[in-house]
This record gives sequence, structure tokens and C-alpha cells, in this order.
Amino acid sequence: MKYITANSGTVAVGLAFGPIVPEFVQANPDLIDYVEIPFEQLRHTPEAGAIQETVPVILHCASMSVAGFVPPGQRTLKAIEREAERTRTPWIGEHLAFITADPIEDNDAKPTSLTYTVCPQMSEETVERVASNLASLQQHFDVPLILENSPQYFDVPGSSLSMVDFVSAVAERCGVGLLLDLTHFLISMVNTKKDPLNEIDRLPLEQVVEVHISGMNVQSGIAWDDHASPAPPVVFDLLERVVKRVRPKAVTLEYNWSPQFPESMLVKHVDRVHEIVRC
Amino acid sequence: MIAGRVHAIVAAGLENPELLARWQQEPDLLRTYGVDPAAFDLDAIWKFAGLSAKVKHNGLRAELPLTFRFLNVNGLEIEIFGAYASHKARTGTRYAPTTAERIVELVDFLRDWLDFRRREHSQLWDLIRHETALAELRKLTPSPKKCRVPHVVGEIILHEMNSDPRAIGKLLREKSFDPERVQRRVTRFCYWNAGDLDEICILELDELGFNLLSLVDGKRSLADFNRLLGGRVSKKLNSAFAELAAVGVISLG
Repeated sequence: MKYITANSGTVAVGLAFGPIVPEFVQANPDLIDYVEIPFEQLRHTPEAGAIQETVPVILHCASMSVAGFVPPGQRTLKAIEREAERTRTPWIGEHLAFITADPIEDNDAKPTSLTYTVCPQMSEETVERVASNLASLQQHFDVPLILENSPQYFDVPGSSLSMVDFVSAVAERCGVGLLLDLTHFLISMVNTKKDPLNEIDRLPLEQVVEVHISGMNVQSGIAWDDHASPAPPVVFDLLERVVKRVRPKAVTLEYNWSPQFPESMLVKHVDRVHEIVRC
Repeated sequence: MIAGRVHAIVAAGLENPELLARWQQEPDLLRTYGVDPAAFDLDAIWKFAGLSAKVKHNGLRAELPLTFRFLNVNGLEIEIFGAYASHKARTGTRYAPTTAERIVELVDFLRDWLDFRRREHSQLWDLIRHETALAELRKLTPSPKKCRVPHVVGEIILHEMNSDPRAIGKLLREKSFDPERVQRRVTRFCYWNAGDLDEICILELDELGFNLLSLVDGKRSLADFNRLLGGRVSKKLNSAFAELAAVGVISLG
């Protein structure tokens, strides 16, 4: 098994686990430093973990509902603990979002559980909730939890903070490391009609531990996350802006939705990231 | 507005997009949950449900690469998967567990939902049937048939299209896709697996050949075909059968 060295001093470059990754890693053994795997994938298809025989793994997660009001079950937390220990991940990236919510009918006892994370209400109330959730969740792990900004597809009612202000407030209140998803950030800026290159400077970039990069497309009047297409040039401009202020520990390319993602494009983007982070 | 309540409403709408439609028609229903209906962008939440349905179908991309590319370049993903998510909620059904079943269900949905007067819908319908036929035939192992009547050699799937999906595929590989460059013409295809899973043939047929092939069932004799067609076209019929036999897609027994 291969394990990542958390404090190697250089910026590690990796890929999100997906259909093209095992073959790509075999064919290009020295090109990437790690593969990021969601806990949910390891839970449902444990054989995906075999990739760690070839390349180190960083654990990602979408099950803890950090910005939600319904806590994850103990069995789920135990399972994440086990994967964190087994993979020896240097940190666990979790979404600053919710995946489970209370039922709308009071007499309906079962919470609504989604299979994907949703941007929370961005308010002081949620910031406080994140702080208390994080304090309780962190006790389960020997490695730090870091929080990933959500893509904002619509205005969540009751929000009193912008995305940048919300992430900043959480970072300040909790002192937590950030997983800055530049495409999520760009999507939020496009959908709320803000200038991404100005807004990025308002984020607490010194707390960024890891960066995510993926594609984006605009359909039906809204910008959407798209891990099947290459990141637009502005995402790399944003990365350049980030590394001028801070050296993240890792940059992950998330091209994991399509088995047809061109290998040549993947190599080009890995090279582009290396070029930017080594500047 | 209390955050937990807002999350509960958004999550319920995403899980069941039919609720979103109901709230859109009767906004006051939302008031019963103690929230202001005007604060919820129900249309955007519905579209987000479409994104999540699309992501749940990523497993189909290996078999339907051109279909997914077509949906993407024509900006149809959110619209179609949003409608599909609503359809699933309306019918109270879950997405099928296997990729093969999900493809069948998606094609069934599209058959009823697509508006064939819209050029891109018509092209999508041709393309998904084209790729589905190829995917299906790659999985079939044809069994040899012994009979004295016309029978198909191997396995076939027949589709009548309003365009040539191969031409759409070629254009989709270019940097930008213009649906207007796809010629609109009726084409009839026979997707044919003669026994080699790596080599699926696509035969373009005329109307007679297409109709004959659709009737070849390994039971009807040449005389039966003659009778079916009124008994007056035997020469034309015989030469059509001879042509199909010469290609190898049928054997005359």
C-alpha cells in the first residue's frame, strides 16, 4: 500500500477517482501523486480501494452533513473512521453543505436523505451549527477535517451572507482548513453575478489546504458543475491567483464522470497545474 | 427563516420534484410550513434535481458517449434529466439498478417525452437508438439457426431514423456542433451482429429491404412473404431477398 506524506513541502497533484483513473495511473505512474476517493465509493465498492496498491489515497466524504441539522449515524461515522485509518489519509475533505434534512411533515419521523450535497442557508445560524457539528465530528478522527465550498445554484432562502462571506465566517469561527473547489467557486460567482477574480482575494486563502478543479457548463440559465468536461481557462487563472498568496498542500483534478475524458487533455491539465504550482 | 426548515423544504423538493410542481401551482402550501413561498426559487431547485439525475446516469456514458455529448453541446442535459426526475417521482419508481436497465428506462421515457418536431429532439432520438442498438448487439451471442425458410444470421436491430446518426456523431467530434448541418432525411438501418462482438455492422436499407427484414422471423417461407405482399411482387421480392442474402444478413435456408 502507498501512503501520502502530508508535509513533503511540495504541492501534490492528484486525480479524483473515476473510470479512467486506474488505467491512467498504470500508464503514467510518475505523473500524479495521489488519487482522491470518496468514502461512499469505498463503502459501496470496496474493490476501488485497490488503487492504493499503486498510488497513495486522500479520503473525500459527502456523508457528514456538516452544515446540516440532522447528524450522520454512528455506523456511518465508524465506517469513515475505519477508512481514514486504513487509507492513512492526511486529512478528510468534507462538503460545507447538508445531505440530510428533517422531514417536512412533523408526523413523518424519517429524515430526508439525499445522495448528493446541497448548499446550505448561508447565515449566522448555519455558521454556529457548522462550528458545533465540526467540534463533535472532529473527535472521531486523528486527521483534520477540511471543508469544501459548495456550488451555489440558487438563492437559499434566509441567507444573509454571500458565499465568500459565509466561507470566511466558517473559517474564522472554526479555524478549519479549507478545500477550495475553484469550479464551485466560479459557479457561485457566475450564478450570483459577481466577479470571481475580485472575490477570490476576499477568501481566507491562507487556510486553504487542498484545491479542486473540474469543468463547468451553463444550461437552462444556470452554471453547473461538470466533471465530464475540462476546466475553463478562468479556473487556471484563479489557481494562479491562489498560489500567489498561498501554497496549498494538494491540487485535485476532478474529471471523474466520463470514461471518454481524453487522456491527452488530462495530461495537459496535470502539466498545467504542475506548471502553476511550481512557479 | 429558520435554516433547518429551509433545508427540509429544499431536500423534500429535490427528493420529489413533483412537490416542487405542486408548490409552484399552489404556493400557499409552503406557508403551512412556516416559510415565505416567494423566497424559494422552485424552478432553479427543479433544475438542480435534473443535475443530480444526470449525475446518477454517469454509468451510461460508456455505452452512450455520443448521446451524452449531444445532450451537453445542445444544452439539453438539465431539461431532460429534470423532466426525467419528475417523471420518476410522478410514477413513484426508482432508477433501475443496472446500467442496461437504466438505458431501457431512459429510452422508454424519451419515446414519450421528446417533441419530435424539435430538430434536436429528433436527432437525439436517432442517436440514442443508434448507440443503444450497438450496445445491445455487442452483448448478444447469436445462436446458429437451422431452418429452410429465410432467417436472420446472427442478431439484428432495426431502426427508422429522421437523420443519419453516424453523421451526427462525426459532427459531434468537431469543436462546435451545429444541428442545422445535419441533413434531415429518412434513413433505415439494420444493426447487425453476425457473431463477432467486436464488429457490429450497420446496413442502410431501402424501404422494401427494411420491411422485409422486419418480417423475417425464421418461420415465414418465401411463399408466405409472397402472399403477405399480395402475390404480385415475387420478382422484386426475390431480388430483395437475394440482395439481403448476398450481404449475409439473412440465409434463405
